[in-house]
Amino acid sequence: MTFLLDGFQTALQLHNLFFAFLGVLIGTAVGVLPGIGPMSGVALLIPVTASMTSGFEPAQAATSSIILLAGVYYGAMYGGSTTSILLNTPGESSSVVTALDGYQMAKQGRAGSALAIAAIGSFAAGIVSLIALVLLAEPLSNVALKFGPAEYFSLMILGLAAVSGLAGNSMTKAWMMTVFGLLLSTIGLDSVSGVARFTYNISFLYGGLEFLTVAVGLFALGEVFKAILHKEQNNDGIAKIGRIIPSKEELKESAGPIARGSLLGFLVGILPGAGATLASFFSYMLEKKISKHPEKFGKGTIAGVAAPESANNAASGGAMIPLLTLGIPGSGTTAILMGALMMYNVQPGPLLFDEHPDVAWGLIASMFIGNVMLLILNMPLVKIFAKIIETPPKYLLPLIIAISIFGVYAVQVTTFDIFLLLGFGVLGYLLAAHDFPLAPLVLGLVLGPMIENNMRRALTASNGDFFVFIEKPISFVLLIAAILWIAIPFLMKLKGKSVIVNEDM
Amino acid sequence: MNKTFDRIATLTFLAIGVLFMIESLRISKSAYGSVVGPNVFPFLLGLILVLLSVKLLFETMRYPSTHGEKQRLQYKKFWTIFISAIFYTILLEPIGYVITTFLFLVIGFQTMEKGSIWKSIIIAACFSLGVYGLYVKMLQGTLPSWPIWLR
Repeated sequence: MTFLLDGFQTALQLHNLFFAFLGVLIGTAVGVLPGIGPMSGVALLIPVTASMTSGFEPAQAATSSIILLAGVYYGAMYGGSTTSILLNTPGESSSVVTALDGYQMAKQGRAGSALAIAAIGSFAAGIVSLIALVLLAEPLSNVALKFGPAEYFSLMILGLAAVSGLAGNSMTKAWMMTVFGLLLSTIGLDSVSGVARFTYNISFLYGGLEFLTVAVGLFALGEVFKAILHKEQNNDGIAKIGRIIPSKEELKESAGPIARGSLLGFLVGILPGAGATLASFFSYMLEKKISKHPEKFGKGTIAGVAAPESANNAASGGAMIPLLTLGIPGSGTTAILMGALMMYNVQPGPLLFDEHPDVAWGLIASMFIGNVMLLILNMPLVKIFAKIIETPPKYLLPLIIAISIFGVYAVQVTTFDIFLLLGFGVLGYLLAAHDFPLAPLVLGLVLGPMIENNMRRALTASNGDFFVFIEKPISFVLLIAAILWIAIPFLMKLKGKSVIVNEDM
Repeated sequence: MNKTFDRIATLTFLAIGVLFMIESLRISKSAYGSVVGPNVFPFLLGLILVLLSVKLLFETMRYPSTHGEKQRLQYKKFWTIFISAIFYTILLEPIGYVITTFLFLVIGFQTMEKGSIWKSIIIAACFSLGVYGLYVKMLQGTLPSWPIWLR
């Protein structure tokens, strides 16, 4: 508890409050703008925050940047609902379900209460998941501290299996992306022996491929290129917002769905691989099943907005648990957050709470504050955010390219990385357009060095005996779980059942 | 799903996997302090990538090719912007951040939609000067400044 109070002390410092505010503000804008999801938003802002915090001390810079980036993450989760409700075009995939009932409500002139309930639900869910995060963080990281290299290796394999098993339509493609990401991570100096690998005497490659360059290229530029190539016409008018304060009946009607959505979303969020999108789908289906009037769903019932919106925000809170306590990102966005932390030499994982308590608890406390800010910000400002939707893409797209190039150059100070950035942008577009999911690639790139180091340490301890991973009980259980995670959806597919997949993680 | 692309991609990944396997054989095998040398991990990964590529190649044989109606892509716009981005990168260090960014943005805006040239110029100037001023003057960051003949 004292740690949490210390965290609040960190988070309430003036500049950190400012960063949290900026984060949720930009995040909401990112969520509202169609075409930029939370992943590309966070990736795009890493270099910007890096240059903003360049005058700070290292630990302080890490805290402030991660506060801002996390703000973007959950802010975007919230902002996505605005476009779903007003335009019937979800800003990101976790708000797809919200559009079902939200847009119907907007058509009936109840857009204001739909938006308000989405904000309230997101807020409640954010608080629920944060309380759970506070309660679970210490015990979980204590368990993880007992892990040796073999257990860690297996745990990361489980993380990769979970994400690859659920991403995209073809599991083969997802696995190819994972392995490709892992391979890319081996470029550069080997951290154990100092031998140069796959560098071909190109001096820029000795440090390895910079994570930032790859992530910004794949996600931000990839999406911009897609938007340029596939020009989409949006002729639907924006619905009028009307009265913002929801009525008492609406509040009463949505209290249950918000509570259930928060809990369900949080649980789904903790699981690696199952992200906010799945959480919102599950909670919508749950509400429909237990509702007394299932026929109302899809025709503008408030429960159909409240439940998925709370679930996807709770899931983004839940996803922070494996990231902070185990150092295993469960989704593309958390992988990018992890990459950002590692840029500041802060290694997420069980040691985080011991080595950098200010970072960990500061972040958690700032998420409480950020959620309050989101609520205050969004109730009155929802009309202004709705205006952002009208930003013409003709200005937006070239500006995103310019920001990406600036960001990468500011951090790397070489044009080599800009060429790499453009190359990965094209690659990102091509791969994503043909059903090769990108999240596993980034995950592989981030986890690669750790998987390799732990594997080699475990093998060194066992004198090169590969059975060490099966002989240790915890490691064995984790590996079995990884195999089941792959095998079960595979078997279900064989039986002809359709498996829900997470498209954007 | 596009069969042709999948096949090309599969063969590319197959080649990448083989390349990593061959190249990892050239890395020194033993390393001080570790039984498992720096070559093992990339070699295994290369092998897995090769196996997965073969699996996908078989999968592409099986599913029927679904050639839906092809969306007309805006290749001209894309290439104009992409090539100007490359020139932007090449010229960034010789002639400085402000000029290149300004030119890139004006070209970008006009490529996306012709017209209202003054609005494009104003937004591009605001962005390039704004970023330069904020980052270099206020935050003491490093960006290529003006070219020598302008300083």
